[in-house]
Amino acid sequence: MIKIKRLTKRYASGVTSLENVDFEVQKNEFVYLVGPSGAGKSTLLKMIFRADVPTEGEIFIDNFSLKEITQRQIPYLRRSIGVVFQDFKLLPNRTVFENVAFALQFLEMSRSKIRRQVSQVLELVGLQEKKDQLPGELSGGEQQRICIARAIVNNPPILLADEPTGSLDPDTSWDIMQLLSKINTRDTTVLVATHNRGIVDDIRKRVVALENGRIVRDQDYGAYYS
Amino acid sequence: MIRHLAFFISEAYIAFRRSGIMIFIAIGTITVSLVVFGLVLLINVNMNNVAHFIASKIEIRLFLKDGLTMNEISSFQEEIRLIPEVKDVVFVHKDNAWREFKEQYRNLSLSDLVHTNPLPNAFKVILNNNLTIKRIASKLSLQNYYVSDIVYGGLIAERMERFATLVKVGGIILVGILSLATLFIIFNTIRLTVINRQNEITIMKLVGATNPFISGPFIIEGLIMGIFGSMLSVGLLKFAYHFFGIQIQKSIPYLPIVFDALTLNKIYLSIVFLGALLGTLGALLSIKKSLKAAI
Repeated sequence: MIKIKRLTKRYASGVTSLENVDFEVQKNEFVYLVGPSGAGKSTLLKMIFRADVPTEGEIFIDNFSLKEITQRQIPYLRRSIGVVFQDFKLLPNRTVFENVAFALQFLEMSRSKIRRQVSQVLELVGLQEKKDQLPGELSGGEQQRICIARAIVNNPPILLADEPTGSLDPDTSWDIMQLLSKINTRDTTVLVATHNRGIVDDIRKRVVALENGRIVRDQDYGAYYS
Repeated sequence: MIRHLAFFISEAYIAFRRSGIMIFIAIGTITVSLVVFGLVLLINVNMNNVAHFIASKIEIRLFLKDGLTMNEISSFQEEIRLIPEVKDVVFVHKDNAWREFKEQYRNLSLSDLVHTNPLPNAFKVILNNNLTIKRIASKLSLQNYYVSDIVYGGLIAERMERFATLVKVGGIILVGILSLATLFIIFNTIRLTVINRQNEITIMKLVGATNPFISGPFIIEGLIMGIFGSMLSVGLLKFAYHFFGIQIQKSIPYLPIVFDALTLNKIYLSIVFLGALLGTLGALLSIKKSLKAAI
């Protein structure tokens, strides 16, 4: 599903964020990308949804090289990849419903279908009751749920989550990770960048560990530390 | 497409509702800039009108040589009539001219001082376009056989000609500069409303919206702001122009102020058109810049 080949990212300042990173994620797999801050986790995710470009190496999504992608094709790539951000990236002056529906507005979809699909996904993340509230009126965990709902509302085959529990308390973090696991069972490949040790140790999945931009471990059902 | 257009309009409506103050300021700025622009247009039209009005009051007096037969005089009159710029040629018989002159200066008792008529026969030449007066006058002065002297209020005519050209050229330059300034102001105002929503644009891009899709609502917003602003400015200009126009007309009755509905409506319509155009263009340029800035 996702193939990363000898990926290197060097910034103009000389800082190397990723170096020779090589790994593959199979369809419907759930992978943790772990490592300390600055290890290159976010950079890697950004390059998968083309918010950043590698200096060297290549990324393939379903055997399609992102090297070949044109500016016009980027939106279509992003529609097939749902992204959950640590800072949620919600529109503060739109309701929960509008925030989620936002990701469907530009698809050729009727209003009734949009309403149905948004309601279903809000049901899944447990926010149906709060659909008319503004994000600012909700807790951090609830805001993260809106972000997840928006990321999966058009059923993308891939879901990327960048530190989805970064600003949440342990209980809420646990709920969010359960939700991501549930989404994984609905035929979605999930890649989660996190440094939340407790979560990785409790909900065991494949772990790819990064340190200083290099992969130091790739282990099925791994823990945060080897 | 229709669904998209409906979405753009509803998004623009949401933006108007939610960033009210920002939009209000933007419309206000557009209104003020277009009022200044319209004012220059109206002043320019009036100055042009004054120039033409004064020029139209100027005529050529062509004094004929003594001894010409009436046949010669009428054939020369016909010849002048054939010049395209000439509207009319009126023959003024020297006896009539002398009578009028004596009437005008009755208190001088001219009959006692001058016993014979010293005035020559003359033509009063009226032109279609008085801005060509100098050229026509010098053309006529070449007819030595008929013409003894030619008077055409030369200096005033030249000055008026220069004034009219100055008004025209100056007006075009001023309107050009002002159009650019208006575009600049409107662009920056709309840019502020766009920057205010840079976050929204970035999010739209991240969730897979295409650039035309993101731009749509902003362009509709720019268009609506442009139309609103320009219509407000036309309202203000219309009110102010008629109010002050009538006041000026009352105090300086001989000053020809343009009240012609066709001319004025053309100006007002061009302001609305310019407002809509600048609003759309401003939004287009702003959003283009913001799209580039977003990842």
